[in-house]
Amino acid sequence: MNIEQELNETPTNLYMPHEWRHGTVVAGVPWKNPVGTASGTFNVDACGQFYDVAQLGSVTTKGVSPVPWLGNPGVRTAESPAGTVNAVGLQNPGVDHYLEHDLPILKRIGATVVANVAGHCDDDYAQVVEKLAASDADMLEINVSCPNVTHGGMSVGTDPVALGRLMDRLRPMTDKPMIVKLTPNVTDIAAIAKAAVDGGADCLSMINTLVGMRIDIRTGEPIIANRTGGVSGPCVFPVGLACVWRVRAALPDIPIIGIGGIDSGEKALEYLYAGANAVEVGGAALYDPTAPIRVARELEELLDSRPELTEKLAKGDTWR
Amino acid sequence: MPTTAFSHTVAQAEQAGRMPTRRTVDVTDVRELTPGVMRFTFRDEFIAANTEPGQFVNLYSGNPQHLMPRPFGVSEVDGDDVSLIFAVVGYGTEEFATLTAGDHVDVLGPLGKPFNIRTDADYLLVGGGLGIPPLLEAAQALSERADCHTTAVLGYRDAHFADVYAAKYADEVHSIDESEGNVLTLLERLWPGLQERGRELIILSCGPTPMMKAVAEWAAKRGVDAQLCMEQRMGCGYGTCVACTIDTRDGREKVCEAGPVFTAHQLGWDNK
Repeated sequence: MNIEQELNETPTNLYMPHEWRHGTVVAGVPWKNPVGTASGTFNVDACGQFYDVAQLGSVTTKGVSPVPWLGNPGVRTAESPAGTVNAVGLQNPGVDHYLEHDLPILKRIGATVVANVAGHCDDDYAQVVEKLAASDADMLEINVSCPNVTHGGMSVGTDPVALGRLMDRLRPMTDKPMIVKLTPNVTDIAAIAKAAVDGGADCLSMINTLVGMRIDIRTGEPIIANRTGGVSGPCVFPVGLACVWRVRAALPDIPIIGIGGIDSGEKALEYLYAGANAVEVGGAALYDPTAPIRVARELEELLDSRPELTEKLAKGDTWR
Repeated sequence: MPTTAFSHTVAQAEQAGRMPTRRTVDVTDVRELTPGVMRFTFRDEFIAANTEPGQFVNLYSGNPQHLMPRPFGVSEVDGDDVSLIFAVVGYGTEEFATLTAGDHVDVLGPLGKPFNIRTDADYLLVGGGLGIPPLLEAAQALSERADCHTTAVLGYRDAHFADVYAAKYADEVHSIDESEGNVLTLLERLWPGLQERGRELIILSCGPTPMMKAVAEWAAKRGVDAQLCMEQRMGCGYGTCVACTIDTRDGREKVCEAGPVFTAHQLGWDNK
């Protein structure tokens, strides 16, 4: 058999462009399919080696700050059962580099881009949003849920008052759809979700990582230099799913992007049945570079036999 | 793992002009070189055809509890067969060590920036312990070049497990273990002879960081350029997760993407 024949007989080719059958709408923005990448696991140069990232429903880029951040010292990652613990600390080359490099590449190839916004304080977030407001980014995602920075990040996303204050500052700065990414490290995620929506969020994404750690039993010391990090991977899947379920029950109308432990079309579908408009693949891409596009293709096949669900998604509605 | 459902990824990727993703390949040989040190061979046409010395490949556990990549420098390519040498240091390497010919393993690669061996020169390949494997591949690549003379300088804790592989390709092999000294002992011994040859000398080194730093400083004092193959705990191995950083003169860089090979100057180890 020659290669041409072999390729034609292979049903799923992750590398070639694809005519997507089931789109979704997230806060008014059309996605080609309901699968995107989760922030912190996507880099256009790295991921673009393997597949056409513009084929995804969206790409959420790694958090950008007003100036370059060095992040945390190493060691930054450790394996955990069916997952990893990481504490990168939002190392990034800053919003100006993002506007000159990453964003133009992504828009040129036709990607739907969610720009993730990081900050150590309200002023940081505002400076980044001000620059992104005038950019080609399709949506902004406010990261108030990173567990690995000492200021900003999760300290905002666990406090409804601080979150409300930040949203009051950011909301008037742009008409772009604004997503708030929530942390699961709270007693009542619905309360934080309400604060975000009251502050003008157009959409919620959940979950960011869970706080965790590993200790090296030879030394008795934490493996990660930051001591604690964020747990991601298949092990957090049921946690993320329950968070989407609870927020959907509390807020029937807000668009939700489900994130956490998705490594297959089946798991993506569970999130859609929990009430998400779309999902994002994060940790799975670290051990399987084409995981996001594979999940999108697997989900598409599952959606073919679920017209009631696809009709809702196409209108921007959700299963529940 | 769901990834194993896609068995034609190399052909598809090449047709689309993309890098092939993680794929399942055949294990062709696994042998113990000395207690706890394995030579592991698998068959992958793409890696065999495209890998350059200093690059690495990710192996993945077959246990879905263990998801992180295990990156290993390639030590030798023979036809479509790709060999690695590693020590059994944890449950991941322990699992790979139990595989035998006919088993399968998931791989990704080749990854990272290789050694720059484009210059016709005398090459000193200075390796320590489990840092030796990428230098074996460098010796193999340089053996195909008539104008390059290679001298392997290898340091071990005890058993000289890689000498036989180095001897296949290097023009000279000098090795030492801790009962006698370390690679610097050998470099001092060899230096007068190397000076007499009078050719440009380039050091390629891989091993424990303190060893590489000492080698780079030794080289800098003698005006010799050195390239160092660094190690850092990796989360993905292909540049997306930003876990494996080290500080360089160019800033905080990803070892998997900007490296693993860095010049002594990039690392600030050249005393300049």
